[in-house]
Amino acid sequence: MDELDAISWAQRLSLFRWAVLAALLAGLVCPLVGVFLHVRRTSFYGIAMPQFATAGVVFGFVLLPWWIANIGLGGVELFEATHDSHAVLTYHMVWSNLFTFGGLLALLALGRRGGSEVGRVAGAFAIASAATILFGRMSPVGKGFVDELIAGELLGVGVHQFETLAVVYVLAALLLALFRHDLVLVSYDRESAFVLGKRVFALETLFTAVTGLVISVGTMVLGPVMLFGLIVLPAIAARAWARSMRTYFVLACAFGLAAVALGVTASFELDLPLGAAITGAAAVLLLPGALLRRG
Amino acid sequence: MKHEFEVRAGVRAGALLTAHGAAFGYRKRAVVSGVELRVVRGDFVGIVGPNGAGKTTLFRGLLGLIPPLAGRVERSTRAIGYVPQRESLDALFPVTVQEVVELGGLNKLRGFRSLPAQERARALECLERVGLADRRRAQFSTLSGGQRQRVLIARALMVEPELMLLDEPTTGVDRGAQAQILELLGELNRSQGLAVLLVSHQLAMVRDTVQRVLWVAEGGVREGAAAELLAPEHLDRLYGGAAQGVGEEH
Repeated sequence: MDELDAISWAQRLSLFRWAVLAALLAGLVCPLVGVFLHVRRTSFYGIAMPQFATAGVVFGFVLLPWWIANIGLGGVELFEATHDSHAVLTYHMVWSNLFTFGGLLALLALGRRGGSEVGRVAGAFAIASAATILFGRMSPVGKGFVDELIAGELLGVGVHQFETLAVVYVLAALLLALFRHDLVLVSYDRESAFVLGKRVFALETLFTAVTGLVISVGTMVLGPVMLFGLIVLPAIAARAWARSMRTYFVLACAFGLAAVALGVTASFELDLPLGAAITGAAAVLLLPGALLRRG
Repeated sequence: MKHEFEVRAGVRAGALLTAHGAAFGYRKRAVVSGVELRVVRGDFVGIVGPNGAGKTTLFRGLLGLIPPLAGRVERSTRAIGYVPQRESLDALFPVTVQEVVELGGLNKLRGFRSLPAQERARALECLERVGLADRRRAQFSTLSGGQRQRVLIARALMVEPELMLLDEPTTGVDRGAQAQILELLGELNRSQGLAVLLVSHQLAMVRDTVQRVLWVAEGGVREGAAAELLAPEHLDRLYGGAAQGVGEEH
C-alpha cells in the first residue's frame, strides 16, 4: 500500500498499462455482447459461461503435468508452466475455449428439447462452479491461479495477454458491428428473419461463436467476476435510458467504459482488486436508472 | 435450414402460393392434412376454425416456417410480407417505430451493409401509408395494439409484397383500430392487387372482409366463399359443436 502510494497516477498507469488497456477494451466490447444477451433474455449465459471457462482453466492445470510429460508444450518445463501462467497461455486458452463452447453447445442441445432455459443455465452454473472447486482440489496451483482470477487481480496482465485479448475482442466487435442489423432482426423476430430469407442458423451460430470467444478469452485474461460485470451490468444500466437500438449500443459501451474508468480510479485510490472494483462500479451505474424506475 | 423458402418457377401461371395435398404438423404427426390451395393476385383469404384446430400450423406451413409432412407447397414469389402476432415481439428491445419498419428492408441487404438512404426514405413512405409517420421516433412498445399492428404492416410493405400473410391481425385491438387495419388491408388488396391471407378466430370480421375462407377443423381443411361458408345457419348445420369454439367477436 505504502509503495503504491509513493508512485504517481501517471506512473501507475504506465506500470499497469496492459491491464488498464485490457479493461478498457473489455469495457467497450463486453457490453455489446451483453446487449444481445439482455434483449434475448439470456443474460444468465453471461454468468454461467465464464464459470465454465474457469472450470476449463483449472482442468487444464490438473492435466498439465501429464500433458507436459507425454505430449509437451513447446519445450516448456512443468516448473515454468506452473509458476508462470503466461508461459503456456495458449494451452490455458484452449481449455477455457473447450469448456465454454462445450457448455454452450450442451445448453443449446438441451434447449432443443424445451423446458425452462433459466433452470438449465442455473443448473449449468452450479455444475461449473462445483467442477471448478473439485478440479482445484486436484491442482492446488490451478486453484491459486483461479483464486487470483476470481479476485480480479489483473494488474499482472502482460503484453502477450493484452495482444491476445485485443485480437479476439476487436474481431468480435467488428463482427457484431458488421452484422448488427441482421443480428437484431434474428434476435427480435426470428420468424420474420426466416421469411425475409436471412440465414437464421448461420447468424445464430455466429453470435454464439462470438459470445463464446469473448467469454473464454476474457475469463482467462480478466477473470470471471469482471466479465460477469461488464457483460451483464452495463447492458442493464443502458436499457433504462435507451430509446432506440442504436442508442442502446452506444449507451451500453459508454456505461462499460465509465465502469472501467471508475473501477480503475477506485482500485488505484483504495488499493482494491481491479476486476472486482470495475464490477462494483458497473453496479453503481445501475442505480440512477433503477431509482428512476426506467427501462 | 432445411425448410428454406422455395421459389418454384413451375407454379401454375398467376398463382403466388399453391398447396397440393399438403399435410402439416410437428414431430411427424400431422395436425392438418389434405390441404389444397391456390392463392392468386388480388385474393383475400381467411383461415378460420376452432381453437386448437390447426390454423396456426397451417399458416406456418404455408409461410414456410415448417416443412410439409406430405404433399407440396410452392411459392412463385419471394415478395412475401409477413405480419406476426405483435405479442411475439419482446418489449425489452428499445426499438423505435422507424427501426422496426427498416428491419423489413433487410432482405435486400447481403452481409453487413447498412440500409441505404433510399430504403430509409421508403420506410418513412410505408409509415405514411399506414398513417404513422409522425410516430416514427416513438418506441414501438409504447404504441397501442392497433398502432403496433399497422407498424408491422408497414414493415411488411417494405418488401414490396405481392402476397401478405398476417397472423391474427385484429386480435386484442379495439373496434376502431380493427376497422382501420381492415380498411388498410382492403385498400392494398384493391389498389395494388395485393394477395392477402390472414388467420383469425374472429368469424364475423373474417366474414365481412375476405372473399374466400379456409375452414380448419378435425384435421382437415375446407375451402369456400366467405359469405357462404361462414353464414351462421350454414356453420351450425355443417359443423355443429366445432363452430362453437370460434370467437364471434373480440
